[in-house]
Amino acid sequence: MASTAATGLSDGDFIRFAEYFYKRTGIHFAAGKRYFVDKRIDTCIRNSPYDTFAAWFAALRTSDQGPMLQELINQLTVNETYFLREDYQFDAMLSTVLPNVLAARGGVGRIVGPVKILSLPCSTGEEPYSIALRLLEEWDQIDHVDVEIHGADIDSEVLAKAAHASYGERSVQRVPKAWMNKYFAAVGAGRYQVDEGIRSAVTLHKVNICDTAAMRSFRDFDIVFCRNVLIYFDELSSRRAAENLYGAMRPGGYLFLGHSESMSRISPIFTPTRLPEGLVYQRPTGAK
Amino acid sequence: MGLVRKQAPQEPEEALPEGPSAEILLSRLDDPDPDRRRESALGLVGAPEAVPAMLARVGVEEDPRVLESMLTTLAAYDTEDVAGGLAVHLASDEAGLRTAVAAALATMPRSFPAVLPSLLAAPDHDVRVMTAMILADLQHPEAHTWLVRMICQDPHPNVVTGAIDALLPSATTDDVQLLLDARERFPDDPFLRFTVNAALPRLTGTP
Repeated sequence: MASTAATGLSDGDFIRFAEYFYKRTGIHFAAGKRYFVDKRIDTCIRNSPYDTFAAWFAALRTSDQGPMLQELINQLTVNETYFLREDYQFDAMLSTVLPNVLAARGGVGRIVGPVKILSLPCSTGEEPYSIALRLLEEWDQIDHVDVEIHGADIDSEVLAKAAHASYGERSVQRVPKAWMNKYFAAVGAGRYQVDEGIRSAVTLHKVNICDTAAMRSFRDFDIVFCRNVLIYFDELSSRRAAENLYGAMRPGGYLFLGHSESMSRISPIFTPTRLPEGLVYQRPTGAK
Repeated sequence: MGLVRKQAPQEPEEALPEGPSAEILLSRLDDPDPDRRRESALGLVGAPEAVPAMLARVGVEEDPRVLESMLTTLAAYDTEDVAGGLAVHLASDEAGLRTAVAAALATMPRSFPAVLPSLLAAPDHDVRVMTAMILADLQHPEAHTWLVRMICQDPHPNVVTGAIDALLPSATTDDVQLLLDARERFPDDPFLRFTVNAALPRLTGTP
């Protein structure tokens, strides 16, 4: 049986761990992620009072939702965000979702009110500004349709950074040079600020996605990006977040989750829809 | 046309108007508009006086989305009264209701243990199968132990198979003998035999 030197994880241990972690978070680690996982488990074990994987894993399973699991999740999830992250979903927005939204709302020229897009959580703003860039540069209807982009997050500090919209080179490394020249200004120390026109077009809000009362003011969104956050919630909080997202969306509206997340494991209220670019969830059109 | 800012920038948590009272929300649970019922059910979080009325509606609510929102609100209480009020629906003839209630009970680790003994003793073996499903997702340190007990003691092969299925994600080599004993107890049940045989290679580390 193979094992790694650092953790002593056998192949069987890894499979059991991967199944456990998938069950608790929805994140699946295939064998190809072995090195990544082993290193982080090793860190967790070193930070714990346990000497071996077996003892640590037994304690983890016993304590379950406690701080051990949280530390593990923190180790095994990448919190870094950047412009145009998981942009196959932006491809889906442009090629399939927006045409469907326009068609459902009467078509260009007859649509009443703006198309509304929500990024929640928006963190330091990379996601809503990425949406803006993709729309401005690649959506042929942008001059014919009003679009509102909203970003929301529970953290006021990240919202302040989102409002300032100044980013380091690592964050903007996927932005094409032509777009950088057009929409960013160098502000020194290797940082680049998003152009005022885009900054002022994005509306930022502080909100807790699990707070039903606060989420009541979010209504009629056609497209919602809620990526890589539900995995941090327990099952009940995920259910309430899903209900609140449902309430924020227009019937027929589209919800994008992170690639490792599944609404099917949280709530049956959305309808999964397979697009050429991947899976998206819709608020059923039959519901008011 | 193009990117536009919302005309009246909003600060949701500051400018939010006072929501309707629990009394009004309760009356809206009978509203003919399912979306209004759904929003009322969600709005009743933090209103314990609404719990009995919501529990009474669980069995009669016909819209699955409204039912989901009621269960989301009720499960947040995680009290024995709520768990008991929900558990009775595990015997329902309606699969959608049974499954929705089971999913809600699986999010109630504080109170579910109180109703577990009566569920394990339920004469309807389908209720016991649902109980195993709940234990599969219940985040409770004793869940594994309760599943082991079901596997050892339940007289119905479908319940034992369901409990084995629920146990497998957290099973280790320590559970191999448990599975072998279950297979021996029901030698003529092909589904149980298949479940155990499929699990053993992974647990023993042999092909």
